[in-house]
Amino acid sequence: MAAKNPKPHGLLAQFDTASAIYSACEKIRDDGFKYWDAFTPFPVHGLDKAMGLKRSMLPWIVLVMGLTGASGGMLLQWWVSVKAYPLVISGKPLFSWQAYVPITFELGVLFGALGAVFGMFHLCRIPQHYSPLFKSERFESVTDDKFFIAIEAEDPKFHPEETAQYLESLGATHVEMVEQ
Amino acid sequence: MTQSLAEKYRPENLEAYDPIGGRHPLVIGGETLHDITELVCRPIERKTPKAWWAFFLFSASLLGIFGMSIAYLFWEGTGIWGLNNPVGWGWAIVNFVFWVGIGHAGTLISAILYLFRQKWRTGINRSAEAMTIFAVMCALTFPGIHVGRVWAAYWMFPIPNQMGMWPNFRSPLLWDVFAVSIYGTVSVLFWFTGLIPDLATMRDRSKTKIKRIAYGIFALGWRGSNRHWQHYEVAYMILAGLSTPLVLSVHTIVSFDFAVSQLPGWHTTIFPPYFVAGAIFSGFAMVLTLMIVTRKIFGLENIVTIRHFENMSKIILVTGSIVGYAYGMEFFISWYSGNPYETFTFVNRAFGPYAWAYWIMISCNVITPQIFWFKKARTSIPILFVASIFVNIGMWFERFVITVTSLSRDFLPSSWDYFSPTIWDISCLVGSFGLFFTMFSLFVRFLPQVAMAEVKAVLPEADPHYHPGDAHHAEAEGAH
Amino acid sequence: MAHGHVELTQEQTVIPQGHPWRTKLPLIAGVIGVGGLVLSYLAVMGHVVEAKAFFHSYLTAFLFTMSLSLGGLLFVLIQYVTRAGWSIVVRRVAENAMATLPLMAILFIPIVLGLHDLYHWSHHEAVAHDPVLKAKAGYLNEQFFYYRAGGYFVIWILLSFIYYRGSVKQDKSGDKKITRRLQNLSGPGIILTALTLTFAAFDWIMSLDPHWYSTIYGVYYFSGSLVAIFAFLSISIIAMQSAGLLEGVVTTEHYHDLGKLLFGFTVFWTYIAFSQYFLIWYANIPEETLWYAHRSVGSWQKMTTFMAVGHFVLPFFYFLTRSTKRHRFALLVGAMWMLMMHFIDMYWLVAPSLHHEGVVFGLIDVTTLLGIGGLFLAFFTWNLRRNPLVPIKDPRLQESLRFENF
Repeated sequence: MAAKNPKPHGLLAQFDTASAIYSACEKIRDDGFKYWDAFTPFPVHGLDKAMGLKRSMLPWIVLVMGLTGASGGMLLQWWVSVKAYPLVISGKPLFSWQAYVPITFELGVLFGALGAVFGMFHLCRIPQHYSPLFKSERFESVTDDKFFIAIEAEDPKFHPEETAQYLESLGATHVEMVEQ
Repeated sequence: MTQSLAEKYRPENLEAYDPIGGRHPLVIGGETLHDITELVCRPIERKTPKAWWAFFLFSASLLGIFGMSIAYLFWEGTGIWGLNNPVGWGWAIVNFVFWVGIGHAGTLISAILYLFRQKWRTGINRSAEAMTIFAVMCALTFPGIHVGRVWAAYWMFPIPNQMGMWPNFRSPLLWDVFAVSIYGTVSVLFWFTGLIPDLATMRDRSKTKIKRIAYGIFALGWRGSNRHWQHYEVAYMILAGLSTPLVLSVHTIVSFDFAVSQLPGWHTTIFPPYFVAGAIFSGFAMVLTLMIVTRKIFGLENIVTIRHFENMSKIILVTGSIVGYAYGMEFFISWYSGNPYETFTFVNRAFGPYAWAYWIMISCNVITPQIFWFKKARTSIPILFVASIFVNIGMWFERFVITVTSLSRDFLPSSWDYFSPTIWDISCLVGSFGLFFTMFSLFVRFLPQVAMAEVKAVLPEADPHYHPGDAHHAEAEGAH
Repeated sequence: MAHGHVELTQEQTVIPQGHPWRTKLPLIAGVIGVGGLVLSYLAVMGHVVEAKAFFHSYLTAFLFTMSLSLGGLLFVLIQYVTRAGWSIVVRRVAENAMATLPLMAILFIPIVLGLHDLYHWSHHEAVAHDPVLKAKAGYLNEQFFYYRAGGYFVIWILLSFIYYRGSVKQDKSGDKKITRRLQNLSGPGIILTALTLTFAAFDWIMSLDPHWYSTIYGVYYFSGSLVAIFAFLSISIIAMQSAGLLEGVVTTEHYHDLGKLLFGFTVFWTYIAFSQYFLIWYANIPEETLWYAHRSVGSWQKMTTFMAVGHFVLPFFYFLTRSTKRHRFALLVGAMWMLMMHFIDMYWLVAPSLHHEGVVFGLIDVTTLLGIGGLFLAFFTWNLRRNPLVPIKDPRLQESLRFENF
């Protein structure tokens, strides 16, 4: 399936501490790399800024979903109680908005939560069970206690030998090439 | 002389540790990132301990009793329970409220303590969230099985049907259906989201292909990418921000089952916050009970420390006090109102035919937590264990006292009657514990019961500005 | 987390000599306060305003200001009981708010004088013919009312004194034992304050409608007080920083937390308010619904709707975003709005027992608010000058100065 000498996916550099990867990311960001990422066993405080990432738009997705859920809930209850199946319950008005508050609220929260989780999946493009990085054995320790940076070959500033040296100069304890 | 972190955080040296001006360390014994992984994953990867089998089989047999009871209930009808006129609501709703309440602690630990930046939650939140899900499962069985005509249960849901009939949205029982099932759903979402990085850890450590695929499927390909962590952290915070009002609203809606009525003892405005406080109270007690046991069996003492237990016991003291406050308010206002039915209800609770249940409730809920004013009690495992069980007994009795005393003696004395449980009421309650403990034992056997990624994130070395020997940082990240 | 030790200079922690906050502000506030009260008194004496109207307006203004003083006490106690680290830099401001409690005790006297005009249960002839009021006369009578009020103030003043003195003493000694002692006392302190606040709410507000009752009423006033104190802290600290005080001490991170808590307690207030309303609406029992019926008559309905929108819907969406809470001017506007809504809440609690048909907002409401509020501000700012603006030797001060939010 793989062609002879396929284009590599990129370089994978291992770092051993959170502070090492933090300073490395700042330099890579400042040096203008675009197609790269850092990999950590837990979210490192401040790493988003160190990588120059823009704020996530997830909150907006959640807000829209939440409002949809809440208004949908109110609409459902209005339609059922006023139009589809009107019943006089203990003399309360057909549109008893007070009584509709609990379910309206709950549905707002449900849709907001669905928006948060599936919105996050969408923004991360997960599930994505395959990644070339999984081919590296060292990379298994990314979910344990080691930190990694991968600079992809797609990046205009990528060069197999120079970028490898560059990564070592940033404090990487090990650099390897990863195939597609 | 600069001590190494491992030295400093050894349990023996902690007594000299000054909590004012600094903070207690969250993880003791100088554990590293890798140590955390090992501590949490090892119990799942090694051979199943005999103790687990004993516990699992015992729970499964209780679950079997539950199954049998439910089968007989469906076959014969709800007459097998002790319900009568006027006590039309008995153990089913008491058990329902009991289990929902227990579930609330998990969400509080995950969500509310997260928003309050209480980093010590990371040692216990995974187990607590799992406990929530299992408690909600137990809770939902009761409204499910108690309807009598089980084949008509679909009438509860707003789905188009051949009769053109729709549910009554003005009924608190329907709000419950929505609230508790949404609570279950969101809790699963929150729990699963937190699990993803840890499932990735399990996947990467798997020695067999089956395990790798099993954990790998649910890990969704997670590889710790920071671009992913960014969205993940936002999602986590939003889920925490959503779950907080959710947990408050769910037990509020449960309290509405009683409070929207006109029954003395049920209809009182303080029910919503009172029920929520009571739920957190019982939930934390259950978390304590469970974690005292699992921490010992699985060797997690350095991650779930005595400080965690102390903080939990303080929360139990606070919420217990709120419950006591509510008892006091109800009692005072029942007199102040000048309404003879109200006054009678409260005198009847304390001195009527159910006085025995009332005083069990008071001694377990109001008196027992008072020992937690004393640090010795807050840090003594035997006392914590016994007290937490008493609290849960007390909270079951509180729901029993509320439900049954108000029904058994309301406005018309000629309608008064006494409710006694039958063997099937008891078997359903006991059986629900079987469901709960069976699920929990499966959880601890196959899934990491500590949120590894989160615990790692609060270690001193997780801070990118950390330098070994930097006293300020080590102290600033901590439990109280 | 910012690192390294943060050293505070003298200018950052004390109001400099000749600064308007040291000289002019207490004076102006005092003049407005005294002026407001004198004007109100003259209005009554000159029969421009009925005594009844005066006392109701006075009570409203008193309850509003009281919630700031009590809110300060509650804030301080809660920070100690939770061993909070972020709030040290703002705690002294809250301590100065609670230090006004002795003043509030004195300002309570007119309410005693106006007892007959305010509380129907003090009309003995009416009570004698009313079985419900007769049944609760053991609690709702003048003597017991005075003793209880005295008891509340004794407890509040004692607690505020212990905490203020301990905090100020620590400015000199930096003694950690003080923190330990105040932490240990804070648990019982909160319980005492919660109970006294509850019964004060029952006595002073709920009994305006002596046939009515609600077990959640104490919690309602408590929730309003917390909204008020977080609004007040935000406003006063922003004002102080605009005047050049506390520069570099209170940061965006602290404002963010104040904003979060203001938001959270606004939602909490809504939860309590709605719970009370909803349960009474649903059961529809006349002896309970009468209280809400009074507030849905004529223009009272408009005010009720306005409160639902202004005290919940608007602030909910306003404070939702992270950036609003971190922007000083946005936070200021939001906090001022909440403080105004809190006053309207107090007005909505008290005035319907006087004006049954609709809202009658008069100049007397303004003069009493200026009167009591002015004196409160005068006392508050006068206290600010006496001690450092932050607890300079608090053991957790460094943690607070270096604090970083999410």
